[in-house]
Amino acid sequence: MLQFILDTLIRTADLALIAVGLSLVYGLVKFPNIAHVQYAMIGAFISGYLLRAGAPLWLAGVLSCALIGLLAVLLHHLVFRRLLRSGPAHGMIGALAVSMILIALVLGSAGSAPLTYALTVSRAWAWGDALISPAQIGSIAITGLLLMLFTLLLFKTSLGRSIRALAGNRELAAASGLNADAITNGVNFLSGALAALGGTLLAMNTSAYVNQGNDLLLPILAAAILGGLGNPLGAVVGALLIAATETLVISFDFSGLSWGLFSFVPVTYINAASFIILIITLLLRPYGLFHREVHRV
Amino acid sequence: MFDFLLHIISIAGIYALIAVGLNIQSGYAGLLNFGQIAFAGIGAYAVGIGAHLGCSPLLSIPAGMVLAMAVGLLMAGLGGKLAADYWGIATLAVAEIIRTLAFNEDWLTGGPQGISGIVMPFDAGGQRADNLLFAGVIMGLLALAAIISQRMSRRRFGRALRLMREQPQLAVCFGYQIPALKRTALVVSAALTAFAGSLLAFYTGYVSPDYLLSSESFIIWSMVMIGGLGNVYGVVAGALLVQCLYSFIPFAKDLIDINTDIAGALRLGAVGAILLACLLGRPGGLFPERLRKIP
Repeated sequence: MLQFILDTLIRTADLALIAVGLSLVYGLVKFPNIAHVQYAMIGAFISGYLLRAGAPLWLAGVLSCALIGLLAVLLHHLVFRRLLRSGPAHGMIGALAVSMILIALVLGSAGSAPLTYALTVSRAWAWGDALISPAQIGSIAITGLLLMLFTLLLFKTSLGRSIRALAGNRELAAASGLNADAITNGVNFLSGALAALGGTLLAMNTSAYVNQGNDLLLPILAAAILGGLGNPLGAVVGALLIAATETLVISFDFSGLSWGLFSFVPVTYINAASFIILIITLLLRPYGLFHREVHRV
Repeated sequence: MFDFLLHIISIAGIYALIAVGLNIQSGYAGLLNFGQIAFAGIGAYAVGIGAHLGCSPLLSIPAGMVLAMAVGLLMAGLGGKLAADYWGIATLAVAEIIRTLAFNEDWLTGGPQGISGIVMPFDAGGQRADNLLFAGVIMGLLALAAIISQRMSRRRFGRALRLMREQPQLAVCFGYQIPALKRTALVVSAALTAFAGSLLAFYTGYVSPDYLLSSESFIIWSMVMIGGLGNVYGVVAGALLVQCLYSFIPFAKDLIDINTDIAGALRLGAVGAILLACLLGRPGGLFPERLRKIP
């Protein structure tokens, strides 16, 4: 049971930071940026190369976050802002094109072999019959800390209030004198940086690889939609639910159910579990679990 | 060289059929289907499983089309109350679930290795004659599909779809049932795409879960967007352009010495860059849809 909770927390930490960024940007620009998961992948690679070049881990992480944050702002300005004038569909297809180019850049420069961080591997700690490595504890702690800081930013500072106002009603917020462009830039930077950090933490426990973004795409979208796109803290709960389901599918022994057919669920079905949750959510609560408003459909 | 050209014609023709299928949904009806490849995959697997069991293609191709139409109905059912972008994500998830099934159900689909040894349903005497005949058949079918699709877009059904795309409320006022229109568009498109998928399985001689990767859907989207969303002939041109890029870059790989990763990156990057340039510079694609203007 303890192992189950730990595994769930580890997976949540993997997903939460990236899903929060996606959801936050959706709130302001109203389209699901499917290139967001590629920011995580590139962030992981940049951290990896900085580590190889001899930078300490914290410096590599900070630099990679800053670079990816800038990339997110630039892409928003050069590409998405212009495409969104013709509607969310064009934005999504533009994000697709951007994803292709980003994957191509990484594939061309780093190759398809995974990049492992040369960190000193320490022994996993045994805690009862549960195992956890210090790196995993680190990633859970960093994610938790950042999410707390982020919540404070969103609900206790004036910047956070502006962000929420802008997400709620863009015209009204702009009319009340908020500098919408500056806030959108700030939010894009923040979400890019969070994605890079999420990608780096993921790669710390496994490795950075080219398809990381594609593998993350649906679980992240599922987490963000489950929490209601545009509701960043909902995305954290979404990530927790997705993580719990995935862990349950891996670790639960289905042989007790006497169907015979499902005596075990192959590991490769893990992802399908989160996709099925995604579809059920979309069918039952299309705007997420925590949505109260009535939407024009 | 001749064989290489024949290969490009065949494969571009098959993808153009899939793109024409996607255009019925995304171009005419404005539906954002990111799981289009699932239909093609179902068609391809139907032929593969049929060949494995010794069924005639006359049975397995229609079976694949019917199954794809059923999946299309299911996707349309999801779209009841979803906004376009949410529905796009849902279709992406449906396609991934189908791929996961194909990957895992070894007894039916051969698992990760897929099914090989699918032979063409005719024998014209010799490999070359077979390929020539097959390319001819594909071209003929593509011309037929393009003409029918073009005709359809001018008729009442096509006009209703475009009205739904531009002014859904007005379409309702005119008495059109929006869910029924979406269902029909999806089912027609699924049938055509599944048929193209069966041709792909016959042409390559095998089928594997890689046929169902979501990146394949994205490539087909690039073809449609580069060619011209809503214009059948533009879509066919887009498919030809993208497929030429896809086939020539591995060809160039042998000429100038670059490794597989860089060739893959070039392929993906070139398509992505053209798509982005088109979106920013010519949002309607290279051959934009011409809308009839009433003065």
